Amino acid sequence: MSLNPAQKYPDTIPAIDTGKVMGLKRPLTLAVAGNPNAGKSTLINALAGTRLQVGNWPGVTVEKKSASFEANGRKIHLIDLPGTYSLSPYTQEEIVARDYLVQEKPDVIIDVVDVTNLERNLYLTIQLLELGLPLVMALNVYDEALQKGYVVDIKGMEKMLGIRVIPTVATKKTGLDELLAAVTELADHPLPRSLKILRYDQDIESAAAVVAGHIQADHPQLAEKYPVRWLSFKFMEGDEQIIEETGLTPDDAAVTQAVDHLIKAHDSDIESIMADARYSLAAGLTQEVLKKPELRKIELTEKIDRIVLNRWLGIPIFLGAMWLMFKLTFDVSKPLADWLTAVTTGPGKRWAAALIALLHGPDWTASLVTDGIMAGVGSVLVFVPVIFAMMFFITFLEGSGYMARAAFVMDRAMHSIGLHGKSFIPMLLGFGCNVPAIYATRTLENTRDKALTALLVPLMSCGARLPVYIVFIGAFFAAHAGTVLWSVYVFGIGLAILMGLIFKRTLFRGEAPMFIMELPPYRMPSFRSLMIHTWEKGKHFLIKAGTYILAVSVLVWFLLNLPWGVTQKQDSYLGRLGQAVAPIFKPLGFGTWEASSALISGLVAKEIVVGTMGEIYVKRAEEEKKAAPPTLTEDLKEIGTSLVMALRNSATNVFSSFAPSSLSTAEDESRAGLKTAIQHTFTPLSAYAFILFVLLYMPCAVVAIAMRQEFGTWKWFGIAFGYQMVLAWTVAFVVYQGGRLVGLG
Amino acid sequence: MNLSGLRPGERGKITRIGAVGPIRRRLMDMGVLVGVQVRVEKVAPLGDPIEITIKSYKLSLRKKEAEEITVEAVQ
Ligand SMILES: Nc1nc2c(ncn2[C@@H]2O[C@H](COP(=O)(O)OP(=O)(O)OP(=O)(O)O)[C@@H](O)[C@H]2O)c(=O)[nH]1
Ligand SMILES: [Mg+2]
Repeated sequence: MSLNPAQKYPDTIPAIDTGKVMGLKRPLTLAVAGNPNAGKSTLINALAGTRLQVGNWPGVTVEKKSASFEANGRKIHLIDLPGTYSLSPYTQEEIVARDYLVQEKPDVIIDVVDVTNLERNLYLTIQLLELGLPLVMALNVYDEALQKGYVVDIKGMEKMLGIRVIPTVATKKTGLDELLAAVTELADHPLPRSLKILRYDQDIESAAAVVAGHIQADHPQLAEKYPVRWLSFKFMEGDEQIIEETGLTPDDAAVTQAVDHLIKAHDSDIESIMADARYSLAAGLTQEVLKKPELRKIELTEKIDRIVLNRWLGIPIFLGAMWLMFKLTFDVSKPLADWLTAVTTGPGKRWAAALIALLHGPDWTASLVTDGIMAGVGSVLVFVPVIFAMMFFITFLEGSGYMARAAFVMDRAMHSIGLHGKSFIPMLLGFGCNVPAIYATRTLENTRDKALTALLVPLMSCGARLPVYIVFIGAFFAAHAGTVLWSVYVFGIGLAILMGLIFKRTLFRGEAPMFIMELPPYRMPSFRSLMIHTWEKGKHFLIKAGTYILAVSVLVWFLLNLPWGVTQKQDSYLGRLGQAVAPIFKPLGFGTWEASSALISGLVAKEIVVGTMGEIYVKRAEEEKKAAPPTLTEDLKEIGTSLVMALRNSATNVFSSFAPSSLSTAEDESRAGLKTAIQHTFTPLSAYAFILFVLLYMPCAVVAIAMRQEFGTWKWFGIAFGYQMVLAWTVAFVVYQGGRLVGLG
Repeated sequence: MNLSGLRPGERGKITRIGAVGPIRRRLMDMGVLVGVQVRVEKVAPLGDPIEITIKSYKLSLRKKEAEEITVEAVQ
């Protein structure tokens, strides 16, 4: 965000409306602050038409975001601050919010208050008032307050706090005009400096007065920069960040004495004294202005939670919900993904080839476009339906309030491996596809949790690895296919637990995340907001992953087709690379260039492993029988009808998802040749070692990109890549050599 | 007695908060203060964390944190 500071504070003579003078209203910068989950982002979206992420759980917004819009010909910048319960410097969000407010001095702060939680929200309001900046309150979630039968004395609140209070319903865009009017009014006609000051009890005020006196006398430059009363409180509270920034030290005996006296008088520590003082003010205010109905109804949220968080039903319901989401995601997206693959590999490639022929491009460009670019784009497109379906369910879970419950139910289990309850969802998603799972770590609040979760996600065996297992299991363990397959998944989970324990004690030593979380009431997200936020999440994937994957696919194509004129895959760069690294895999039982090349290409995507093996092992004896290529109209018709089919299938899958399904290991005709080929080059033992290696080494290039995107650096992917390689090699080594020792294989 | 000793449905009044550092601060900022009444609502299916009502909202915290909060039972 680049704001011209001169633009921000041109108004040095408060009494004059610069707008009128210059015939142009100056732009305004408004900071939106408030408790987590109070509706700040929703309010900004409503005002500015933006699509900032919202969700019904605390901690959605963790970085400061900005949005601009124009109201009555006037530019307005809104700054969405992370939700905070206080302005102490203990969490990242609090620091971000406080630094912005203190240093950037926005024209007006909009304090978004959740009226159904008035007392706790006022605790923050009181601290915002200490800053002495112009403040307007948006009394949000007013609809739920009315529904509960609350009566709020708005006028009384305005009088007691000395600020404008505007009831709003951000989700329904109610009260926005009034809010904007109040804000511009305050910005254009700043009140004289005699802002109403809410006073705490006598002991605190007199101690603060001593400190303030000391600051004004000995550090006048600080008195210029910071609101003095606020600075005095922070100093008394021993706020490390502020003390460091300002260099204030308790060198004045009078100051030390005043604070000591305060502590003695209250027989408590300074933090509690201040928190108590602010909360009792908040409690007093709440009692004055908010009347709740005598008889409290049992709310829907409580009724739902009685079942959902029930001692015995809680876990089954959670697992059931996850299973359903997982199943629906993949069932709904599968027909569409298949359709997309069919279109890009069939007509798509044909048209591209035809186009190139039309343009008289050399042969290799045709291959680059069809086998490199089109295949690459295809491999991204395949993820599109699954990502969108997944994001839809996640958006729903977030919007409804169940996300917080899922964290509550699973926290115990996850905590034992150093994670937070919320980490369970990405882990589970990982079984479908690691890519959305990595993106789902976004729901975690701090980098430590996100990173640890993202490091463990790849151990969840994703759908793309399944074809590899199926081919090898079909070739060697057909009689015990189910058991062997199951053992692979369990192996992954077991290693995730083990690695979690190891990481907890090494890379991630130190404080495990605290779990002090508000459980918000359930809310029904509107269809519109579901769609918007699903799209926003998916779009992110589409754009970035699309560009990277394209580059990687082109690279792989070159590796497979260079140097110029190679006819044997073995002689291509990839083949040579395979030969070069083959010795590394020798102790694992599959040290052939074919296996190595397949594993290398598998770095891009695991689906490619089987494909590459197919190409390498199976001589293209039976060149595809050349049928007359279909015409353009035939192609279009085919695409249309197959899309209709796909849509119908994904719709019917929604229902069939509820029926138990069995895993199909039905064999693909085309793979029969591959099967015999690998039976010759692998033994059952080396095949199992190979399967485990595929389970454990880097999942795919898209995961790398997703991790880069989520963490903003390659660091975590680097760590993940390194440990997965080591783990994969070690496990395969132990299994293969151990197996040989005991006489298997 | 500490907060984790209360069973679902039981109420208590906080008499002391033993936690230190950021956790203490976070608890206090969320209204967990000496003299405040709490009611234990639920224990998670796996035995941890717990859910309490405080200042008329629902808060969940781990037993480890709850153990640091001393309460006296209230009828
Ligand atoms: N009923 C009702 N719900 C609202 C209102 N405003 C926001 N919500 C809901 O409250 C939840 C939280 O909204 P957000 O905008 O994400 O809250 P936030 O303040 O940005 O939260 P953090 O980013 O976590 O600090 C969402 O489920 C919104 O749909 C309102 O006026 N009425
Ligand atoms: Mg937000």
